[in-house]
Amino acid sequence: MQFFGGSEISPSPSVPTTTGNNAHMIYVFNRNGVCLLYREWNRPLHTLNPQQDHKLMFGLLFSLKSLTAKMDPTSAEKGNLGVPQLPGQGCSFHSFRTNTYKLSFMETPSGIKFILVTNPRSGDLRETLMYIYNLYVEYVAKNPLYTPGTPIRCELFNTALDQYVRSIP
Amino acid sequence: MGREVSESCIDSLLTEMVSTYCNRFYANKPELAARRIEAIGYQVGHQLSERYTMERPRFSDHLEAIKFICKDFWSELFKKQIDNLKTNHRGTFVLQDNHFRWLTRMSIDQSPENGASEEPSIMADNKAVQSMHLYFPCGIIRGALSNLGIPCAVSADISNLPACSFVVRIKA
Repeated sequence: MQFFGGSEISPSPSVPTTTGNNAHMIYVFNRNGVCLLYREWNRPLHTLNPQQDHKLMFGLLFSLKSLTAKMDPTSAEKGNLGVPQLPGQGCSFHSFRTNTYKLSFMETPSGIKFILVTNPRSGDLRETLMYIYNLYVEYVAKNPLYTPGTPIRCELFNTALDQYVRSIP
Repeated sequence: MGREVSESCIDSLLTEMVSTYCNRFYANKPELAARRIEAIGYQVGHQLSERYTMERPRFSDHLEAIKFICKDFWSELFKKQIDNLKTNHRGTFVLQDNHFRWLTRMSIDQSPENGASEEPSIMADNKAVQSMHLYFPCGIIRGALSNLGIPCAVSADISNLPACSFVVRIKA
């Protein structure tokens, strides 16, 4: 535990819960910004109403992806800032960490974005997100009753997701 | 027999078939859509049973034919056998599959958050859509049995997913 001199304003990092649920919440967006899924397991503080919260999250990631691609020192060709990018173009942004949480991000070639917010001690969660994407394909994309582009309302997906997330270290 | 087809392709094709018949071809006539889907299943079952009984002798009675459907036919189609067979010995058979392959990914919508009054109609809607997907396997069973010389009527019952029961009534 590190103590930075004099700063008592920042809240202490959250301790992993004893129930083993270290993930705080998950968002799933499609390429048009429709929030397909939002589930929370451990979120003590709500500041915005859900619609604003989803818009903020989508906007944040859109800007972050754009910014990270434009600041990439290894890529030669850069368009103007603000030009929307296809998934896969430019370097891919994975995660950011603060003292209270870590946000991990993954975008699939079809434009589905998975955002997982966990405790700050989590490692690289790319494989976790890949597994969740596989759950999405099995239980949502292949569900005859699901219309693409609408919010996900499948019991099987929710149960499988909850069970898997409980097992993340 | 080396050629194979991806299972996802078949699943997507069946899903789209039901969806097209229900929402585009016979948009407000679910009975006609159901009959059409069942007729397609009938043709498929007819031809499949021809293929899978090539080297076998004729069946001695109805029960033998139903047992063939439960064991060999079902294994060829779904890689497993029917889990439970019940009969009343008077021409009615109930074939129960505890984990029907084409229903494993179907999941009911969660109950809506707004008002309990909307629940019954939405639940009924869900059940209707789910039962549409069962006309195809019912048709397959009916086609297979009629090719073996047993005219019958087949209906399905999904009171508890993912288990599914098919009720076969033999026409005397």
